[in-house]
Amino acid sequence: MSRFLFPRWSNLLLPTIIVAALTIPLYAVFFVAYGFSPETLAVGYQPPQPVPFSHAVHAGQLGMDCRYCHTSVEKAAHASVPPTQTCMNCHTQIRPESPKLAKVKESYATGLPVEWTRVHKLPDYSYFDHSAHVNRGIGCVSCHGRIDKMEVVYQKSPLSMGWCLECHRNPEINLRPTSEITNLAFDSATDLSVEQRDALKKKYHINPSEDCSTCHR
Amino acid sequence: MIPLPPRWMLFTGALAALALAIPPVVIARVRATPDPERAVHIFFDMDFQPKFKPQGQNPLFADGRAQRYDVAGTVAKGETKLDAHLFEGVVDGKWAEALPAGLAMSDEFLARGQQRYNIYCSVCHGYAGFGDGAVNKRAMELMSNSEGPVNGTSWVQAKSLHDPLVREHSLGMLYNVVTNGIRNMAGYGAQIDLEDRWAIAAYVKALQLSQNASLQDVPPELRDNLKKGEVK
Repeated sequence: MSRFLFPRWSNLLLPTIIVAALTIPLYAVFFVAYGFSPETLAVGYQPPQPVPFSHAVHAGQLGMDCRYCHTSVEKAAHASVPPTQTCMNCHTQIRPESPKLAKVKESYATGLPVEWTRVHKLPDYSYFDHSAHVNRGIGCVSCHGRIDKMEVVYQKSPLSMGWCLECHRNPEINLRPTSEITNLAFDSATDLSVEQRDALKKKYHINPSEDCSTCHR
Repeated sequence: MIPLPPRWMLFTGALAALALAIPPVVIARVRATPDPERAVHIFFDMDFQPKFKPQGQNPLFADGRAQRYDVAGTVAKGETKLDAHLFEGVVDGKWAEALPAGLAMSDEFLARGQQRYNIYCSVCHGYAGFGDGAVNKRAMELMSNSEGPVNGTSWVQAKSLHDPLVREHSLGMLYNVVTNGIRNMAGYGAQIDLEDRWAIAAYVKALQLSQNASLQDVPPELRDNLKKGEVK
């Protein structure tokens, strides 16, 4: 029995282990921060909908105002999904025989709602109020993106707490006159000067709270 | 020169290093593509609580709605609609000529009417009321399709609000049309608030006046300005 001798190349092990010990934790941190963040897990969520309704056609091509359908957005926390009647305001006469409208017509006939799939979900312990934002200069596009260019709606923003606070700490960049609230092409960052945005901040008394109880109650 | 380890070991090491590159690539791809299945939840916390949110579902009810309608035949406190002028636009059995009590004509009221008109009415009637809204245009295109109206479209040109017949409508009648619809037009009572419907009716009157006014309608002190404008 000869004695075991470490081969000469094993001298390389020590530096290798040191390098690995330094990089692998960094890698793990990066992996969790990048992979588990809401930008990865939530943004881009584009569930299939029961009716192939196109925002690109209605809000984009036809230029209908968001509030034509989402009527409660200025008055309530919840921006309502329209009842079937709203679709049928026009579609009793426009393309009533389109197969894409089958589920809407069925709903109209039975009185049972179309079962749309919710895209933008907040955790149940956070209480967002649409009316508080749209009546004070935060437009739809700031959170929802260019809905007027989406065939099927997807989630544009992470809707995470860090993302909310980003704006609550620096709201000026997103402020716009309330007359442009539903104008998705309006870009506060380029269409308004810093002075104009500061003036809006004063005009709408924008002083966003960062207290826990603002959103969690 | 230190001798290198056996090749299989170098190979395994290189493979492991390459494998480390896979997760970032997958994550980058996920971030760049919309996905129907995105709703991955890692920390549930109390994200989903056993409560009903607006327009949510409740499987206990046959229609699946969590929000319930009023019980048939009941009226909630404060929801009686006895004021015929305010709710129906009728005074003494005739269409009202004036705004109901509590609503006053003002610049703000008309501006509100204009804003609401632009949201709800302009889609068909057009911003200036000539019946040339974007939806009307699109529908007329579908009607004039060379192979017949598309998918059973049966659109009638939206009324111009400057039509002599529409001009005759009183404020109360206009309010009623906004609320309950007329002919092919659906009622907007459920979509537009009560006061806003009156504001729209008032704004339509203003729109009509804008296309059909005489010099006598202009306050005397402003008439000169108008004449100057004409000369130009």
